[in-house]
Amino acid sequence: MEIINVRDLDVGYGGTVVLRGMNFSIAQGRITAIIGASGSGKSTLLKTMIGLLPPLAGEIRLAGERIEFDSERCLGRLFRRIGVLYQNSALLGALTLYENVALPIRMHHPERPRSEERAAVRTMLDRVGLRDCEDKYPFELSGGMRKRAALARAMILKPELIFCDEPSAGLDPITSAGLDELLLELRTGHGVTFIVVTHELRSIARIADRVLVLRDGRIYHEGDCADILRSDDPYLREFFLRKTDHDH
Amino acid sequence: MRPLEDIRRFFALLADEIYYVGQYLRRRRSVLPGEIVHQLYAMGYRSFPIIGLITFLIGITISLTSAAQLKMFGADIYLADLIGIAMINELVPLMAGIMLAGKIGASITAEIAAMKVTEELDALKTMGIVPEKFLMVPRLVAITLVVPLLVALADFVGIIGGVLVARFSLGTPVPVFVREVLAAVTLRDFLIGLGKTMVFGWAVVIAAGYKGFFMDRGPEGVGKATTESVVLSIALIIGLDCVFAFVLY
Ligand SMILES: Nc1ncnc2c1ncn2[C@@H]1O[C@H](COP(=O)(O)OP(=O)(O)OP(=O)(O)O)[C@@H](O)[C@H]1O
Ligand SMILES: [Mg+2]
Repeated sequence: MEIINVRDLDVGYGGTVVLRGMNFSIAQGRITAIIGASGSGKSTLLKTMIGLLPPLAGEIRLAGERIEFDSERCLGRLFRRIGVLYQNSALLGALTLYENVALPIRMHHPERPRSEERAAVRTMLDRVGLRDCEDKYPFELSGGMRKRAALARAMILKPELIFCDEPSAGLDPITSAGLDELLLELRTGHGVTFIVVTHELRSIARIADRVLVLRDGRIYHEGDCADILRSDDPYLREFFLRKTDHDH
Repeated sequence: MRPLEDIRRFFALLADEIYYVGQYLRRRRSVLPGEIVHQLYAMGYRSFPIIGLITFLIGITISLTSAAQLKMFGADIYLADLIGIAMINELVPLMAGIMLAGKIGASITAEIAAMKVTEELDALKTMGIVPEKFLMVPRLVAITLVVPLLVALADFVGIIGGVLVARFSLGTPVPVFVREVLAAVTLRDFLIGLGKTMVFGWAVVIAAGYKGFFMDRGPEGVGKATTESVVLSIALIIGLDCVFAFVLY
């Protein structure tokens, strides 16, 4: 089953098109990796898919329903189904880690008892290994810790779709592997769909079911992860070989 | 037409905020509990000392300059009327408004603009939280509660300035001066001063939010937005003050 369908989509800012003529779909309960060189438009595509940046042309359908970017109600429905991990975490600096993770609960389920909220937040913080830092403010954390906290926030309301912009950038290999396991567990155990922007070949190989490669303002390649890793397309080989060289 | 578009966006934000505050007063949702108290404290803490000091000094300055003139005509006692009316109707609202622009408006713009740079505003949106409501309603409710206290404090210390000058420069006994102030100043004067300050306070917070939410992207935009917010607020205050003068007198 396809949860997202993209047709003839152009994305960009104002007059400048960053990516054009995109057609692809995202399968439900799968992890799709979006890869491409820096500046190829990965974050821009993500921004459009999460309803923040109206497309310049084309359409996106979420579970068959066209996303209307000028309808607050339609965007509200989209926001209720998704969680987003931003490239630079975007935790609220004025709130502690606990409050950041609890925020979606407090705003959308204010009637939920505090004890229940506490249990949910602590479970989530445990999962990302941040239980001991719940009273810290974001500026007191390292970049990787902020990432994990932001992931906890994105998951707290158990959305069916989670978008991650470089979840493992800046993480050590062990933490990064732990994060990948978490994603896999959510996918397999809870049927969550992930769309993950990433540069890490190891992570792609570990978690991705599908891969979308962006290059020169369009989709260069789309396919199953295994096929892409075995592909003898020169660009893909170069991309992955460089990456692996870089990793060692 | 950029200027027209800017004006449209400003009034659209104002209208939205009035709606959001009304909505919040009916159903206490979409705002973090405790945030209003936090804002009240921050605003009071930031503005009371400086506004108290400024109005006290202005009270003394105006009194000294006027006392010299009044003395020539033997009209010493009218210093009380002059100070009472001038402070309460005009100087306190104007000075309080300008100080609010510098202290509170600037910090609101800096905060919101920084949140835009770090994608915190985007994060709020995709969590289904409306930033214009979540961030602005507590600040607007707080400014509404802070202004009356601020005006009472500023009126009081401004007149104290007059009392001191009258006592030590003109030799008017304190009770006589106070009685004269109370006779000259009506409740209406106080309410006009309060109403004006309230309008200025709202103008400051809305202008601050406007400059924060609509700043150009990029970290260097934060400083620019903050400066522009203060300039816009002060221009609005002076313009509105002029409108008040036409309407009221
Ligand atoms: N707010 C913006 N306004 C105008 N152009 C932008 C904006 N943000 C990004 N761009 C441009 O869009 C293009 C794609 O940027 P994007 O951030 O999507 O790249 P990316 O693939 O996420 O890169 P990275 O891997 O470095 O995060 C770049 O050429 C960039 O200059
Ligand atoms: Mg990016």
